[in-house]
Amino acid sequence: MELALDILPQVLVDGIVLGFMYALIALGYTMVYGVLEFINFAHSEIFVLGAFVGVEILLLLESAGHLATLHTAFVLLIVILSGMLLSGLAAVALERVAYRPLQRSPRLVALISAIGASFFLQDALRFFESLWRNTFYLTYPTLDVLDKTVPLGLNVVVPVKSLLVIVTALVALAVLHLFVNRTRLGAAIRAVAQDPDTASLMGIPVNRVIALTFFVGGAMGGLAGVLFGLHYSLVNPYSGFFPGLKAFTAAVLGGIGNIPGAMLGGMVLGMLEAFAASYLSILTDGAFGAEYKDVFAFVVLILILILRPKGLLGEKVREEGA
Amino acid sequence: MKVGLTHVGVVAYIIASSALVFVFPQSVLAFLCFEASLLVIYYASVDQTTKFCLGTIVLLVLLPLLGSVNGYYLEVAIQVGIFVALALGLNIVVGFVGLLNLGFVAFYAIGAYLWAIFGSPQANHFLPGNLFPLSSVWFFPFLLLSVGVGALTGALLGLPVLRLRGDYLAVVTLGFAEVVRALVNNFDKPINITNGPKGITPIEKPPLFFQPLLEFLGFSVNPSTLYPFYFYFLVLFIAMLTVVVARRLEESRIGRAWKAIREDEIAAAAMGIPVVRMKLLGLAVGASFASAVGVLFAAKQVFINPESFTFMESIGVLAMVILGGMGSIPGAILGATGVTILNLQVLKGLSLWLNSVRQSGIVLSIPLFGDFTLSQIPAQFEPAKYERMVFGLILILMMMFRPQGVLPPRQKRGH
Amino acid sequence: MALLELRGISKRFGGLQALNRVDLTLEDGMIAALIGPNGAGKTTLFHTLTGIYRPDEGEIHFIGRSLVGLKPDKITGAGISRTFQNIRLFAHMTVLENILVGMHCRISTSLWGILLQSQGAHRQERDAARRAMELIELAGLRGKENEWAHQLSYGEQRRLEIARALAANPKVLLLDEPTAGMNTTEAQSLMMLFKDLIGRYVQAVLLIEHNMRVVMGISHRVYVLDYGEKIAEGHPDEVRRDPRVIEAYLGPGTWVGDAQS
Repeated sequence: MELALDILPQVLVDGIVLGFMYALIALGYTMVYGVLEFINFAHSEIFVLGAFVGVEILLLLESAGHLATLHTAFVLLIVILSGMLLSGLAAVALERVAYRPLQRSPRLVALISAIGASFFLQDALRFFESLWRNTFYLTYPTLDVLDKTVPLGLNVVVPVKSLLVIVTALVALAVLHLFVNRTRLGAAIRAVAQDPDTASLMGIPVNRVIALTFFVGGAMGGLAGVLFGLHYSLVNPYSGFFPGLKAFTAAVLGGIGNIPGAMLGGMVLGMLEAFAASYLSILTDGAFGAEYKDVFAFVVLILILILRPKGLLGEKVREEGA
Repeated sequence: MKVGLTHVGVVAYIIASSALVFVFPQSVLAFLCFEASLLVIYYASVDQTTKFCLGTIVLLVLLPLLGSVNGYYLEVAIQVGIFVALALGLNIVVGFVGLLNLGFVAFYAIGAYLWAIFGSPQANHFLPGNLFPLSSVWFFPFLLLSVGVGALTGALLGLPVLRLRGDYLAVVTLGFAEVVRALVNNFDKPINITNGPKGITPIEKPPLFFQPLLEFLGFSVNPSTLYPFYFYFLVLFIAMLTVVVARRLEESRIGRAWKAIREDEIAAAAMGIPVVRMKLLGLAVGASFASAVGVLFAAKQVFINPESFTFMESIGVLAMVILGGMGSIPGAILGATGVTILNLQVLKGLSLWLNSVRQSGIVLSIPLFGDFTLSQIPAQFEPAKYERMVFGLILILMMMFRPQGVLPPRQKRGH
Repeated sequence: MALLELRGISKRFGGLQALNRVDLTLEDGMIAALIGPNGAGKTTLFHTLTGIYRPDEGEIHFIGRSLVGLKPDKITGAGISRTFQNIRLFAHMTVLENILVGMHCRISTSLWGILLQSQGAHRQERDAARRAMELIELAGLRGKENEWAHQLSYGEQRRLEIARALAANPKVLLLDEPTAGMNTTEAQSLMMLFKDLIGRYVQAVLLIEHNMRVVMGISHRVYVLDYGEKIAEGHPDEVRRDPRVIEAYLGPGTWVGDAQS
């Protein structure tokens, strides 16, 4: 039991980091579901794209010799902003090419197209990286500052990269919250989510609001991708599958279409996973170990959908029919 | 029977394309021409009996003959047969009942592991008595058993998820398949049931029950040359069986109930259809197809591991169903054949061609870019490595331009 | 004896009292009409009767058997089938298949019978197809049995839906605005059809209808709903003179024969 207590702070930090990561990705799922009522299955690739933009910029800076000379904060700012921008634009392009032509089709048709887009993007990324770098397994260059640790007292040390994830995610979530709730564009998104037909009658350009939603959701996914890369270092075109599905689980857990719900769901899922990864083995005396953490998320997903399909905070999806 | 010009044309095509394969046994193109003869038969305006006879000749006589010229063709045909049965199973779930099952591969895995565990020494790890591997005679009982186990797991998965909205159901079935894969991957401890990522080998093959007969007739054939043909006929038989089962169901009250549920669940219930029971039945039948084919797959491969049962496989089968046309049995057959041949022959063929180009050492002079040696083409460009891209493109393009598929269900004339 | 009897049926949706203690009786050989302004609860009553909704209170008796709590398919099996206000055909199935779906609970082939193509299964399918052709004939859709349902004209779709409901071999047929969107001639011919149905295909018909000509022309009894409550019932002539009905349903002074909505 003492061992269990010893690792508790570490588990908490891991859980928070994972939780913010899932929360950021989950926003993309939940916002798109809010306005279009469909699962943007390719969002996981938008997330991976962010991670690849990050590693490419860092590698370019490194090969040009700037990585050592520029201030790390400045480098991080560039990397994060470009990851967000490109992922956001990619999400908009995705919507324009693969989803908008299907807006009037049944929902499952759009979902199948989204799955196709997800597979296509994975291999497209692989193809591009193979062409460019002759490999598609990339490693983030080390930024010395990130590997340092900060003591928090009580024998707890936190790596700077974990703090980076936490702080950046907090800022992004706060900005997003203000954007959605305090600006005209945010109000337009909420209006379309509630009732696209009425919103359109009120003079809101629905298609542009949908594109904006994809951009914002994509940018959040891209941010998560960059943070994922900075934190875990390794990326490949197929890295998005599990984080994507877990983030979707988080979105459902919080109540799909519900933005605070996605944040809460992400955090709950991140914590559950961190605890499962560390304590499952201790609790079952080694019979079941960390390798079950991925299964764990799916079990949560299945249980939530069956027991409480509207999620913890309730769905904010328009009523069908009526 | 009136023999028209069409009959002559079809037969001529079949003879010509088979001859082409005999002359150029290594040519992918020649074999593709031969495979197309089945399409020619399907589309030719000749009567059903002729179609049936010609199809039987092509599948039962010509294809095995060509397989004796180039063994790879048998392998291709076996794979096609496996995927035809899988696609027909998924077509029942997605095409008839209208449930988007993204975890279909799970049932395939369950069937495969069922035979792999008991048809190899693996079961000795957790059952006493050193009884395993079961002798190959048990293959057929296990084939039957797998139908039951598949149906049961299909229905058990259905019970909790059927109330979900269509898109949620899709994600949950995906999750279910990943859970199955993770369990298979990790159940080498605390008790070693699946041998984890290392996989299981050697798995018993089906029994050569006809060997005494062959010997009696004076043939002494080496089992290793016999097995590819044996598997070919076995797969052909099972694929045909699935076609018959799927067709009979489609034309029965059960098939009509499935389609009614797909079209309008509330109206279906109002017409006296027990919606939940029918959906469960659909999931169970689809799963039983996959599970039975899984047994066959394990026996054919001799070695299986969790890598054969990924999400990509599920999507591959989905792409086949969608390419052919959801709810269409000829469509599912065409889709499975087309996609399998695309993967096994066209993409592999292009990869081989690319390799030969690279090894040729030719130097291209491109204006402005200077010289480019073809051997510099990276190995990562091999088209065979981009299966996902192919599946993805099929899904997107079909949804955009032809959601009903290449061979959508047709209205039947008369009955 | 009453064929179908509803006693004190109530249904609430949140704060809305959609049905408030509605009583209704349907006797053998009877055509009854259910009328009332939009939103009066007519379709809700149909949904409650057919098991789509479960009533909060009240009893439904059908030939001495309670139907409350039964699933829609069981109610159809018991002998009540219906059409929908906004036609709900199986669009990507043929006319013949639509009818055959309606016969689902009258065909009893088992899974094994189907897979092994047993004699019995074969015979049942053949009989079903023959009966389906009769119904297609009845609905005036002869020659169209192999067309997709969605290819039919609006009037044909309405008639197909009625034929599909009849395919379930019901004792009671519920029709939700069967003549909506039809012109007078079409509505008249459908009316004649309903009269012919009684005794030959069904024992009783209950229809929701806005076309007063239809209501007055064929119904033996009229029930009037308003805000979920039954405000009047009786012979069409009595109901048309009932001041409460005139006020609630038609508005003061607008009573004319044809109040199509």
